[in-house]
Amino acid sequence: MDKIRKKVKSLLTEGKVAGYLGYILREGHPLPHLFTRDHLAELEQAVVPPGDARYPLDKILQALARRYPEDTFTIQVRGCDERGLNELYKWGQLDPDKVVLVGVACPQEQADYCECPGPYPSVVDYGEKCNPVPQSRRVARIDSLGQEAAFQEWLGHFARCVKCYGCRDVCPMCFCKECGLEHPELMSIGKVPPDTIFQLVRAIHMAGRCIDCGLCEEACPADIPLRVLYKKGNLLVKELFDYDTGSLGTGLSPWKSLGDEVTLETKPL
Amino acid sequence: MAEQEFQPKIIGFFCNWCTYAGADLAGVTRLQYPPNIRVIRVMCSGTVSPHHVLRAFQKGADGVLIGGCHIGDCHYLRGNYMTIKRMRFLQDLLKFTGFEADRLHLEWISAAEGPKLAQTVTAFTNKIKSMGPSPLKRLTAKAA
Amino acid sequence: MVGIGGEPGHFSVKVLEMARYIDMQKCISCGICAEKCPKKVPDEYNQGLAKRKSAYLSYAQAVPPKYAIERETCLYFKKGGKCKACEKFCPTQAVDFSQTDVEKDISVGAVILSPGFKPYDPSQYTAYHYAKLPNVITSMELERFLAAAGPTQGHLVRPSDHKEPERIAWLQCVGSRDVHHCDHSYCSAVCCMYAIKEAIIAKEHSHGPLDAAIFFMDMRTHGKEFEKYYWRARDEFGVRFIRSRVHTVDPVPGTDDVAIRYLTEDGELRTEEFDLVVLSVGLETSPGILELGKTLGIAITPDLFAQTSSFTPVTTSKPGIFVCGAFQGPKDIPQSVMEASAAAGAASELLAPARFALARKKPVFAEHDVSQEEPRVGVFVCHCGINIASVVDVEAVRDYSTTLPHVAFVENSLFACSQDTQELIKERIREHKLNRIVVASCTPRTHEPTFQETIKEAGLNKYLFHMANIRDQGSWVHMNEPAAATQRAKDQVRMAVASVALQPPLKEFDLPITKAGLVVGGGVAGLEAALGLADQGYQVHVVEKKDFLGGHARKLNHAWTGEPIQPYLDDLVKRVQNHPKVEVHLDAAITNVKGFVGNFVSTVTTSGRDTEIPHGAAIIAIGGHSYKPQEYFYGQNPRVMLSLEMDMALREKNPLVTDAQSAVFIQCVGSRIPERPYCSRVCCTHSVENALQLKELNPDMDVFILYRDMRTYGTRENLYKEAREKGVMFIRFSVDDVPKVEQTADGRLTVTVRDHVLGRPVTLEADILGLASAIIVKDQLDLAQLFKVPLTNDGFFLEAHMKLRPVDFATDGVFVAGLAHYPKPMDESIAQAKAAAARAAVVLSQESIRAGGVVAEVDASTCVGCQACVGVCPFGAITFLEDQKVCEVNQALCKGCGTCAANCPSECITLFGFSHKQLYTQVDEALAELEVEMEEAAGA
Repeated sequence: MDKIRKKVKSLLTEGKVAGYLGYILREGHPLPHLFTRDHLAELEQAVVPPGDARYPLDKILQALARRYPEDTFTIQVRGCDERGLNELYKWGQLDPDKVVLVGVACPQEQADYCECPGPYPSVVDYGEKCNPVPQSRRVARIDSLGQEAAFQEWLGHFARCVKCYGCRDVCPMCFCKECGLEHPELMSIGKVPPDTIFQLVRAIHMAGRCIDCGLCEEACPADIPLRVLYKKGNLLVKELFDYDTGSLGTGLSPWKSLGDEVTLETKPL
Repeated sequence: MAEQEFQPKIIGFFCNWCTYAGADLAGVTRLQYPPNIRVIRVMCSGTVSPHHVLRAFQKGADGVLIGGCHIGDCHYLRGNYMTIKRMRFLQDLLKFTGFEADRLHLEWISAAEGPKLAQTVTAFTNKIKSMGPSPLKRLTAKAA
Repeated sequence: MVGIGGEPGHFSVKVLEMARYIDMQKCISCGICAEKCPKKVPDEYNQGLAKRKSAYLSYAQAVPPKYAIERETCLYFKKGGKCKACEKFCPTQAVDFSQTDVEKDISVGAVILSPGFKPYDPSQYTAYHYAKLPNVITSMELERFLAAAGPTQGHLVRPSDHKEPERIAWLQCVGSRDVHHCDHSYCSAVCCMYAIKEAIIAKEHSHGPLDAAIFFMDMRTHGKEFEKYYWRARDEFGVRFIRSRVHTVDPVPGTDDVAIRYLTEDGELRTEEFDLVVLSVGLETSPGILELGKTLGIAITPDLFAQTSSFTPVTTSKPGIFVCGAFQGPKDIPQSVMEASAAAGAASELLAPARFALARKKPVFAEHDVSQEEPRVGVFVCHCGINIASVVDVEAVRDYSTTLPHVAFVENSLFACSQDTQELIKERIREHKLNRIVVASCTPRTHEPTFQETIKEAGLNKYLFHMANIRDQGSWVHMNEPAAATQRAKDQVRMAVASVALQPPLKEFDLPITKAGLVVGGGVAGLEAALGLADQGYQVHVVEKKDFLGGHARKLNHAWTGEPIQPYLDDLVKRVQNHPKVEVHLDAAITNVKGFVGNFVSTVTTSGRDTEIPHGAAIIAIGGHSYKPQEYFYGQNPRVMLSLEMDMALREKNPLVTDAQSAVFIQCVGSRIPERPYCSRVCCTHSVENALQLKELNPDMDVFILYRDMRTYGTRENLYKEAREKGVMFIRFSVDDVPKVEQTADGRLTVTVRDHVLGRPVTLEADILGLASAIIVKDQLDLAQLFKVPLTNDGFFLEAHMKLRPVDFATDGVFVAGLAHYPKPMDESIAQAKAAAARAAVVLSQESIRAGGVVAEVDASTCVGCQACVGVCPFGAITFLEDQKVCEVNQALCKGCGTCAANCPSECITLFGFSHKQLYTQVDEALAELEVEMEEAAGA
């Protein structure tokens, strides 16, 4: 932790960043906080929260960047947060030149829980790199179900939806000003549970954008296994378009360019 | 009533320059196909978003058929590059959720392929007939 | 065309128009005449493989879609006044047997000949038994078998027993490169490519595995991206390419199969059996076209093509008469399209002073403001005679329409498209204050413009219109299900009404055009393009990197036709420099480009000084360069020279060349290899030319050309033939066993190559060694980015469409010509440059650019600036506004495909006329009945 405090302190005092978006310990709870040069002492309370206490810092950073477009911020990131930043750079929502990383590696226990394919960021200032979990057993289980069983299972999940939009509101990647899920032409209004296609429309938006942080699933009061749906979306994006969501290596998102050639074929009737 | 053969409702999104023209050609050459389809003309198959398809299923469509120009023949050069990306993804996502992905079909049909248009609509209609009504439709009916 | 008089600019042309016995104005192309016609005749469009009637449409997609009656076969004409079935059944009284052939005089300023070619008829080739064996067919016949609209609906079968073939052979050069059977010494230039295409399509159409074998002499895939296609056919599709001479084609006794006996390259005689043999027939000029040539008095080459010069490739020997396409010489589609534009450009130069002299302005109608009105929809349900009414209950559809929301007026019409009905529709609009119109009839693809024009005349915005297609996609395809067809018609009308009710009037507006062109590159292509524009009266800026004009052509001696290049080039440069409309910028580069079609502003930087040049169109003609080989002692030994260096040595009478006793050329140096997988197109001909010059210098010189495939395409083949006759030796090598060059102590060279005919290596002495090195492009990346145009993987500029738009980019107002597009010889560069100028003139000649209508718009208040739309626009019409952090569609560039609208997760992009709401509404309406049923079911 001292390493982080030292790094942040020098960034702040040298004026390289306008603030550090991290966590502060308040009454025993880690809460998101913006540390600034004017309140350097607060850094003593800066913490890295345990694996299961997380907030959408990427989302907060977007709000900060919109408010202070000229300023550079440093932000505490886990593997998923960094994937989020990478995707947000590509989608024009953040400027990579205005972000400095403070990296935190997740403990193995967290990585296993998340089935995380990349449990540490490119910069590690805290924690030890643990083993990634490349395969998702939760996705594999659904894949192995028959069509009817899978359908019934998902219907059961979707029927519990109370349309609170919690999944969307917490999502660091949901940056649209206006949400298609609220378009009355697309989605029936005044219906709970919502239209059956509700989760599918969101899954389409998340494909190639979801950075698998899992906050949606944690926010969902109905315990819908949203993360499984979005994990599958990203797997399909990888399989069909060879695109690694959240990586800087595989070029533009398939949804952001036409591409030079078509390798996919239509399915036979 | 219950004895009658199931008559599915099928939505066709046909691009103006190829598949819609192919459908006209099927007419000019008097090729016959089942009357279950309702065609929405779009300028390019790239105009069709997964939202439109999902809405059709939500509203009870038993099948959705998207017709575009062959790759390389798109009137808008590469609009259909997006069509196949979107629809192949949507098909696979539907499959994962058990939604009978075969109810969504994409076919490249040129303005010269009247016979292919008629064959495709016939085969797709027959396939949907054999699959029975869309499970989403049953669900909506139940909810109502 | 039966006669011509007058002079360029003022020709009088006599044209004979044959009677079609059908009134074009009245024909609604319903096809009843053909249906009722009792006379069946072979269908020439389907190569006689199917039948048509004497009353017929040439083919289903003919434009205009109007029927005709063939006098030669019609029973009425043959049996003296009997039959007339067509006349009896025609619902519009369009049949008119009183028509006669009419001779017309037409006044024109220029004539363009594009009569095309005739496929060679192989009946006379007795060795191939085309006339005798049913399973020996021509490539044109196979095209019909493979066509979805062909006689077998695209099912690949062989003629004798309609069995699906499992083994197909293509025999190349039938009617080409052959003076024994057909007196066609030339190569037809297109057959190698089409045979490969047919082989791939045949494989795709086959249900089982198909053995496709192409028997050829040289594989000539010299066009853009062709070589890769050839490799894919071989490596991915498993097409067999057999380099051979076909000896005989014989029936296999007891079967319908065909045996091919052939000689392999090393002289072995083999036999293989096939189910079907396809003769890849060449191109020739038909006697009728030659007759036309004679009528016009234009010069014809010994190969029976129109005579042109390398420097004026679309100009015939008669001033004011131009030629394009296969009558100029055998060629493929892209080349034909380029020449077509070039010929149009040449005619425009001649006729520039008279531009728009015959143009008439369309009247403008005041538009009624409907923005404050509730939709009042008028629905017109057409009978189309009996075409719709005999299947669909049009009265029921009419009655049903009155029940729909927003519908204020409904009426049936016998023929909605007739002139009377147009007047009636206008009247009804006024009478009932209709502000939106739905016509339920045929297809919008043919009739939407008619109705839009009508409602425009009645003061409505033409977009307040929707068609319900209840004929082509209704009565005609559900003929035996009247009830279901009627139901579908009602649904489609309901969808149309709901959609048009949501339709706002769409604005169209005019943008000004800067009537100046910018040409990047001062080589032959750039200069010809510049002159092409300037001679049509437009200001042109030529920007050249170097301090002189002329480019690489400065180093060339002769065109392949033997015409000397330097006098032509001197004259060209002089004409450009002296042209009052042309401004030349030397030592200059483009450093910035702003704007779009009609309204570009480019920055030209000359020795540190920036000049802003406004222009309406741009032509990229930055040329190419020779690849400088690392191999074969190039750059180390003066005896090793590239083609252009050999030209120079010949010109300067360099003793290395003039005293040489032996010369060796190595082809494909740097071309057709994995790192540069394209053919450089010009090198085979260039080496043959140089070899012939060496032979002329010293007929006893030993001259060898080491090649992989000789690609002297088209009439260039004659040079290859001449070279062989004059003793130039040709030795083939393969890419995995390239020639080895060694240097002796005295600087002399020996070349060792494995001779495929002898089957062993031979060693050749070489006093000089010519390397036919690849043509490459350099410094193209910046320019591509500035003009937002794409490049191929090989670095050449990528046009909008490889076949149909060979000089356009997807980005409007930017064009390409010359080697920057692909390697090509000078005559083709000039044709492409003239074509680019003609295409650019299409932009510059307009008074303004019409924009708007069905285009997309971004709602700036909901756009989050993610730029997903920017990257999926095929036309580069969307830009991200940095200052506002939102995207914006340039409506002058938008073509209205809607790919962006479908890509926006928050649907903040609208494609006017096809808005999300309109599409959702149509979906909902299509399924509306269902909703009622479902509610009822749930209630019960």
